[in-house]
Amino acid sequence: MRKLLHLSALLALACGVEHTVTPPASPGTLATVGNGAVSERYTGEINVRGNYAYTTTWGFLEALGNAVKIWNVSGNTPLLADSLIVDFASTLGDVQVSDDGQLLIVATERSGGSIMLYSLANPAKPQLITRYTTALTDPGVHTAEVQRVNGKLYAFLSIDPANGSPARLVIVDLSTPSSPQQVFTAVMGSPYVHDVYVRDGILITALWNDGIAIWDIGGGARGGTVANPVRLGGFSTVGGKAHNVWWFHNPATGERRYAFVGEEGAGAIGFSSSGDIHIVDVSDLTAPREVAFYHLDGAGTHNFFLDETRGILYAAYYNAGVRAIDVSGDLSSCAAEARNFDLRCDLGKMGRELASGPVGVSPVYIWGVQLAGGHVYASDMLHGIWKLDPVP
Amino acid sequence: MTLASLAARDACAQAHSSNNDFLQLGAQAIGVVTRVSPAIHSENLTEGYLTQPVVMAHIDPWRGLLTLSGMLDFEGATIERGELNAGIYGEGYIDRRHPHTYLHELVLSSTKRFGSNAVSGVSATLGKGFAPFGTDDPMSRPFEKYPINHHLSQIPERVIGVGALRAGGWIFELGAFNGDEPTGPGDTPNADRYWDSWSGRVTFIPWPQGEIQTSYARVKSPENPAGGGADQRKQSASVRLEDAQHSGYALFEWSKTGEYAGGTQSFTFTSLLAETWARYDRLSGALRIEHTERPDEQRTTDEFRTSVPPTDLSIAGRSRWTIVTARVAASLLNKPELVLEPFVEIAHARVSPTLRPSGFDPRQFYGSSRIWSVSIGAKLAFSMAHMRMGRYGVAVSRKPAGGMGGMHMEGM
Repeated sequence: MRKLLHLSALLALACGVEHTVTPPASPGTLATVGNGAVSERYTGEINVRGNYAYTTTWGFLEALGNAVKIWNVSGNTPLLADSLIVDFASTLGDVQVSDDGQLLIVATERSGGSIMLYSLANPAKPQLITRYTTALTDPGVHTAEVQRVNGKLYAFLSIDPANGSPARLVIVDLSTPSSPQQVFTAVMGSPYVHDVYVRDGILITALWNDGIAIWDIGGGARGGTVANPVRLGGFSTVGGKAHNVWWFHNPATGERRYAFVGEEGAGAIGFSSSGDIHIVDVSDLTAPREVAFYHLDGAGTHNFFLDETRGILYAAYYNAGVRAIDVSGDLSSCAAEARNFDLRCDLGKMGRELASGPVGVSPVYIWGVQLAGGHVYASDMLHGIWKLDPVP
Repeated sequence: MTLASLAARDACAQAHSSNNDFLQLGAQAIGVVTRVSPAIHSENLTEGYLTQPVVMAHIDPWRGLLTLSGMLDFEGATIERGELNAGIYGEGYIDRRHPHTYLHELVLSSTKRFGSNAVSGVSATLGKGFAPFGTDDPMSRPFEKYPINHHLSQIPERVIGVGALRAGGWIFELGAFNGDEPTGPGDTPNADRYWDSWSGRVTFIPWPQGEIQTSYARVKSPENPAGGGADQRKQSASVRLEDAQHSGYALFEWSKTGEYAGGTQSFTFTSLLAETWARYDRLSGALRIEHTERPDEQRTTDEFRTSVPPTDLSIAGRSRWTIVTARVAASLLNKPELVLEPFVEIAHARVSPTLRPSGFDPRQFYGSSRIWSVSIGAKLAFSMAHMRMGRYGVAVSRKPAGGMGGMHMEGM
């Protein structure tokens, strides 16, 4: 009988986990302007430039995640202008337009990882220039961050681990788009390197359970170059699973104090997600330290975009939509009731959340977000692309 | 591996060898044609395989004081693409069963009994094999097609160190092993992962034909060989019965695996399984009912494969599979050491998502929420009639001297 009782108790424990998402802390909403639906594939990342938005696709819904959707976003409702189908890919996890608007770069996984380089001479009709793939881009390029360092365009590729092949960073010189040249590679991440952030000759790598690492690649005065990064410092964010980074350059104060680190915990598409935003003080690049965090019950963050002029962080929060958070001012100082036991400030308890969206639709599963042309664009794995009003 | 009963006509419970067997050898292979409808995207698939081709050896020169048991499994050569098995998952395969590693098992055991004919005793085991957790490997059970809870209910192919104590009808096992799962047939456990995981099992044998076990395991990052992936906490409980005439068998099993990122639980996967087998003269029949939840992970361009390791901690969804499998077989030879057994297995699976909304809609993916599977084949086995797999040393239950023929399962 005791065994039966024990068994019953264990079975009861197996009945599932409730996921209740924290409602918006404030009445602010990111009003919906329009939606461009994608029904046959899960939508992935988004990048917007001018009147066009480019979204990628993930996994398998009715079709493989091997499509890039091209949207005309000049009107209220994003209109599908065209699609690209990428062979030998099951997921296109990342997409970015180069800073000069000339190139569209798409990351492919798995297997046979690569980046696809397209000409945006006609932004509505990208034309393939080349596919860059090597043994070191296998089994997949998880993200491709395209940035200029000392005037030269590079792609920073975060490579998935595979059996016997740990995760690595590959940096490719895109000066000649038809012939990308690898200039650096190194194993990094525990067990993943999922994304990087590049600015002012500084490279910040998100190394999952190893937190973040900061590298001089030309702007750190330590002799580092893109081909020979010099590590300046690193920090293990609370809870690990460091997924993505944004280094805040405050134009109002000139401060470059905070790096926002996204933690990607476990989740299930449409149902749940987990992981906080960690605010790391990088005033001293050699000695970063975490000073604050933002947490939502029942949801976790993914990619984000910072409106640096207004000090507003727009964070993709999967099943909790887009959350707009006030990150202006001093984030390391807070009242006692907003301070965590480990002395970090809790931005939620500080009343920093400004708004969320889209509203009136559920479920959503927001992958990426970008502020462009006065609107917030969000990619939703379940609904395609949202065009939202920003925080008023 | 417990290979002991390979050739013994009077094999004891759980593959215990006769005391006179210095060297025992065994081998088997199954030729099978399987049709699954629908297998994927409303498409039916029919494929043929040579599956479970293994050879085994057991050396016992000093009556258990030091024994060496090994099994080579050639599935890496014969079912490298995976065997159609609706609902199954693991080690980078989904809806196809993965091949096992070439060196499936190689363990050295030392057993000290408390008396020459006693069942009680202690043992220590070292090598590559099964962690002390859960139930017998499906390869040693009645069906050709694996239950889909294989990765919930067994922990095979690890470098293990297992200590066991038996006192009367009670068996206590505690083991340490490497958490990483194999990533291919030629893979070996990662040396830097040795002993990072542990499990324990308590078995009670209330009467010779009955066995009750419960077990628990903490497995570090099984799906990410480098470490740092989701950890698992596993539980299992089962009741196993076999009649004294060796003509009937039943297993009732519950297992549950919780995935953890750090100390935070993300998802749980639960399985209930009941199976029974009966023999009458040369005919045998078996029935299995399984109710198992599985993770639905991101698939690669080969949609029967998933990423190894996964690219993060998330899943697309979780689905519940209710599978009823029936089997009929006939033994064509009347020799205990040689089995030639044609069989037919028919399975019906009903699948539904358990997380809503879900990133994986089975009906949309397969084209139906109901999947039929028919397998026709023949098993040829030499000296493997009584095999059970997953226990070592004194944990191989044994009847006091005089021999108990219990759990002799010809043809399984």
